[in-house]
Amino acid sequence: MSAFNAIHGIVTRDLIRTTRQTSRLLGGVARPFMWLLLVGTGYNAIARVHGDLPYQVFVFPGIVVMAALFGSMLTAVSTVYDREFGMLRLMLASPVGPPAVLAGRSLAAVFVGMLQGGIVLIFAPLITPVSLEQMGAAAGALALCCMSSSVMGLVIAARLRSVENFAGVINVVLFPLLFVSGALYPTQTMPWLLRSLAQVNPVTYQVDLMRQAFSQPAEFSIEIDCLVIVVSALLLFGLACLLFDPEQRFIGRRVAQ
Amino acid sequence: MSGFPAIEAEGLGRDYGTTRALAALDLHISPGSIVGLLGPNGAGKTTAMLLLATLLTPTRGTARIFGQDVIRQRRAVRRRLGLVFQDSTVDGLLTTTENLLFAARLMGLGATAAHQSVDRALEWSGLGDRADTPARELSGGWRRILDLVRALLHQPDLLILDEPTVGLDPEHRDRIWSLLESRCRSQGTTLLFSTHYLTEAETADRVVLLAQGNVVACDAPSALQDGIGLEVAEIEGPGAERLVDALSGLGATRTRVRTERGYRVGLSGARDAVVELAGTAPGIERFTIRRPTLEDVYFAKTQDPAEPSSFPTSCSA
Repeated sequence: MSAFNAIHGIVTRDLIRTTRQTSRLLGGVARPFMWLLLVGTGYNAIARVHGDLPYQVFVFPGIVVMAALFGSMLTAVSTVYDREFGMLRLMLASPVGPPAVLAGRSLAAVFVGMLQGGIVLIFAPLITPVSLEQMGAAAGALALCCMSSSVMGLVIAARLRSVENFAGVINVVLFPLLFVSGALYPTQTMPWLLRSLAQVNPVTYQVDLMRQAFSQPAEFSIEIDCLVIVVSALLLFGLACLLFDPEQRFIGRRVAQ
Repeated sequence: MSGFPAIEAEGLGRDYGTTRALAALDLHISPGSIVGLLGPNGAGKTTAMLLLATLLTPTRGTARIFGQDVIRQRRAVRRRLGLVFQDSTVDGLLTTTENLLFAARLMGLGATAAHQSVDRALEWSGLGDRADTPARELSGGWRRILDLVRALLHQPDLLILDEPTVGLDPEHRDRIWSLLESRCRSQGTTLLFSTHYLTEAETADRVVLLAQGNVVACDAPSALQDGIGLEVAEIEGPGAERLVDALSGLGATRTRVRTERGYRVGLSGARDAVVELAGTAPGIERFTIRRPTLEDVYFAKTQDPAEPSSFPTSCSA
């Protein structure tokens, strides 16, 4: 029960913080639309994927995943801000311990990712014909994507020491995860090295699952997508718990946070 | 509360690589005591507090908080702790009330209990008028009070404060200590704090003085002050060293501390003889005699921590 209360407190705080940082929230929503409209419209004129699928229709599931990925991951990475200003130590010093603290942070990140991804998803009928069932399936896929992305964000946050490193994270981690995932172009046509990387990238399975929700050609089965997303999220959550041990007894330098 | 000591530490120490942050701390603190940790920067105060707060694992020794081991029973220990770190950790984007509610939920309180606890805290702390103010708009002093109130929300049995008044004006320092003393004395909360404002430690039940990771003195403030000497002479001028040597030759000094302009000497007695000698000594620009303070103890014991201590170094209160 006390873990539930702590998680509730952490989620409430993170959501209040998110709603009071409107520029960050709007930026998170604007980014996928910019890709969809500016890049998507341009490629739409010159590219057809999987036969005759217009590029904007093809890329839409990837753009929803992108919104979720950036929203969830950056919310989780804001843990770095808490470390820098001492709040993280206060949280880790609470009786509930690192797993409940990280569950709270992760859950808050899921909500933020779902909000940002959900806003993009609402515009699906403007891009492609979509049924209510497909929207429901896409919402479910979105929840799984956010869960996976949020724990990836926590793992990255465990090794970032200052908020200035955010830009580096976006360039070095987020964009490669997105580019090598099949979100913007099919993985089947990638060179073998990139395709191999795509197959160990959890975001690939998020995109694949989202494509299945929109009845687009997919590389893996739904079961494989869900299994990889859930198992990788659980493994990464376990890793995050070890990395966020206040004294880092298990992994990394033995320093107080 | 329980029959156990609030803090029980035996040989508690911590190394960071080859650096010895805390050599061996022996503490036996009864519930309800107020204990001050003093010492220069890098003396081991924060390390000692983090060890007792279960946020660091000791390299050696053991510690128990109300009978519970700081390693094996971390969660149980944390339930009884309130912590205030050296830097304020309030969330500037949240209001005062939201910061307190967050802390209350984090400590495991349910929604109703958290709201009740926060409402009471806003009332007794004086933060009520600022309940809906975003924390970033609070002054440094009120932010610190918010830190403190947050640590007291769940009514901890042991409050650990790392330099709670650093950088505050006298008015807010006074407000913080008034709040602390009234809450701790009325509820029997044990208080362990560090400070560089030595006068703040004068009302403590015990003072632990650390230097270079070692306990160099531990006793009641009055006993520590008495240990310096019956009185302290401040001697300045080019002839100060010669006079101090002469006083030592008479057996009239107990401690001597080199200062920027001369010496502070703890006198063991023979006041009249000392005054007479000082009056005739050449090159003395200033000679005053006064009661010893904790600052005298601080300088005497931290200037040369390798010198064998005449004070107790294991501490009971």
